[in-house]
Amino acid sequence: MNLFQSITSALDNALAKDPTAVVFGEDVAFGGVFRCTVGLRDKYGKDRVFNTPLCEQGIVGFGIGIAVAGATAIAEIQFADYIFPAFDQIVNEAAKYRYRSGDLFNCGNLTIRAPWGCVGHGALYHSQSPEAFFAHCPGIKVVIPRSPLQAKGLLLSCIEDKNPCIFFEPKILYRAAVEQVPVEPYNIPLSQAEVLQTGSDVTMVAWGTQVHVIKEVAAMAQEKLGVSCEVIDLRTILPWDTETICKEECFLNLEAPISRVCGYDTPFPHIFEPFYIPDKWKCYDALQKMINY
Amino acid sequence: MRKMLLAALSRVLQGPAAAGRTASRVMVASRNYGDFASEASFEIKKCDLHRLEEGPSTTAVMTREEGLHYYKTMQTIRRMELKSDQLYKQKIIRGFCHLYDGQEACCVGIEAAIKPTDHVITAYRAHGFTFTRGVPVREILAELTGRKGGCAKGKGGSMHMYTKNFYGGNGIVGAQVPLGAGIALACKYFGKNEVCLALYGDGAANQGQIFETYNMAALWKLPCIFICENNRYGMGTSVERAAASTDYYKRGYFIPGLRVDGMDVLCVREAVKFAADYCRAGKGPLVMELQTYRYHGHSMSDPGISYRTREEIQEVRSKSDPITLLKDRMVNNNLASVEELKEIDVAVRKEIEEAAQFATTDPEPPLEELGHHIYFNEPPFEVRGPNQWIKYKSVS
Repeated sequence: MNLFQSITSALDNALAKDPTAVVFGEDVAFGGVFRCTVGLRDKYGKDRVFNTPLCEQGIVGFGIGIAVAGATAIAEIQFADYIFPAFDQIVNEAAKYRYRSGDLFNCGNLTIRAPWGCVGHGALYHSQSPEAFFAHCPGIKVVIPRSPLQAKGLLLSCIEDKNPCIFFEPKILYRAAVEQVPVEPYNIPLSQAEVLQTGSDVTMVAWGTQVHVIKEVAAMAQEKLGVSCEVIDLRTILPWDTETICKEECFLNLEAPISRVCGYDTPFPHIFEPFYIPDKWKCYDALQKMINY
Repeated sequence: MRKMLLAALSRVLQGPAAAGRTASRVMVASRNYGDFASEASFEIKKCDLHRLEEGPSTTAVMTREEGLHYYKTMQTIRRMELKSDQLYKQKIIRGFCHLYDGQEACCVGIEAAIKPTDHVITAYRAHGFTFTRGVPVREILAELTGRKGGCAKGKGGSMHMYTKNFYGGNGIVGAQVPLGAGIALACKYFGKNEVCLALYGDGAANQGQIFETYNMAALWKLPCIFICENNRYGMGTSVERAAASTDYYKRGYFIPGLRVDGMDVLCVREAVKFAADYCRAGKGPLVMELQTYRYHGHSMSDPGISYRTREEIQEVRSKSDPITLLKDRMVNNNLASVEELKEIDVAVRKEIEEAAQFATTDPEPPLEELGHHIYFNEPPFEVRGPNQWIKYKSVS
């Protein structure tokens, strides 16, 4: 299955297992703009898989309501770039519901899915990676998979998790990433990073599409510099797996300052995109400089 | 009468081959502007009204000059959009491209009714407005291809085109409407008798911020005209499936509204004139719904036929095309000849070709500009980048 098919499979499993589950968002009925919800409406009916009008704040607010009343709500925001009208609902309502009601009410049944990340031609409003805005908001969970196999397990975990979750799906991988994915449901635990490759010289941490970039960089480093790299996929951004990351790098034991490789502090450009994204050459360059520190 | 005479003469002169043809050509070319009427009066469709006693006039007078100008502008926009379609398929334009063909009467009618000092803001289907607000075709096409000759220096692309008194070009649906109200407040505050037209689509009409804006505009009697360009489909969703009420002109509820035939440039012009006068008189905002249609899909990645039939598109093209409507009116009322309009078509095609040439050959913005214009007037600072060893300077 490719990434969008693994998402459909996860939603299919969720709708089958949980009779209160509903999937809604803009254009999800016919299958969604990325085909993540193909076939679900025919299978489960139009009262469980339905379209909403063009209103992100309304979608999330509505989702919180469904979740509080006891049903499982799986809301789709068409692009992560459009999540901002709903930011208030997520941060002020969803994240704080359990805390402010003294655990009397909660919207843990809510999961918000959104296509995420750069895609080559998305420009300012179809390419953003807004996880950093949510990463400092206690009360919600933020999860980003790197592949179809990971996506299905993590999405099912998010849906079953008793906290509101935001699940970002790297849109560039929707068709590009293909793996053998089981048809039956399975879970991958949240808040656990995965060490993809062990190494002794440098640790590289990434999530989503970037994991594939640093895997390539690790291979290049091994081949050209003889450097042994450790590659870690963070998977859950919030609450993140401090244990795994810190086990590998204890502050006083570091031989070089920690380096961050990312986009520039500018809005996501249209014409400059190839220069903006942290591709493997930039990461490799950073690694080289770190080795030579 | 003169037409028949000239036709008869040219038939007579067609006798001796080459010489005759030259002679007949000369005969036709000597037809001067005195042969045409200087203006004509047209009956236009009455607008549906909401909370208004009277609406715009149902007769419109159009002069020959106006007619030729509207024709040329609409034809330029039509050909420019078709050229963009072509360039996109050749992958010379990338990213997003939302085409305006079919809706030309809206932007041309609006521009005809307002002054250059009035303000316009719209959403992403903005190429038509960019042109009517004064940006030359070559700069629009160069912006689409991402070159430095583009109106936003190549950094904005299709959805972010701007010029004086035209505030874009906005990607996030509905976000431009509160901005429009803000501009209207500034108009009122500066007291220069200007109005602001805030446009949005039928999909955006369901966004919360639109209703917040209606409230503010009505409360403070802002000179803001809210215009909903209803082209019947919000991306792939028809209006019946998206909206509890498809009477978009009534959605302002406490704000008076008009529903206008958006395929008739004169209808749009009269309605916007009426609305602008209403706002300038200090009576507060108005909501207007322009009923229009787009021939292309939502964007270039949408073929446009999965949610509507080809027959429907064909029907609109043959019965309500704005350019054809204007052409028929002008020819039937002796405001222009078919040949004259054809000459305009040829001139427009040539202009578009040249603009496309420019857009394809102009260089891209230099890489140093990656960091420019993030902030204003700081001493140039270095933009943090992928790591501490690669930086770009930011200048404003």
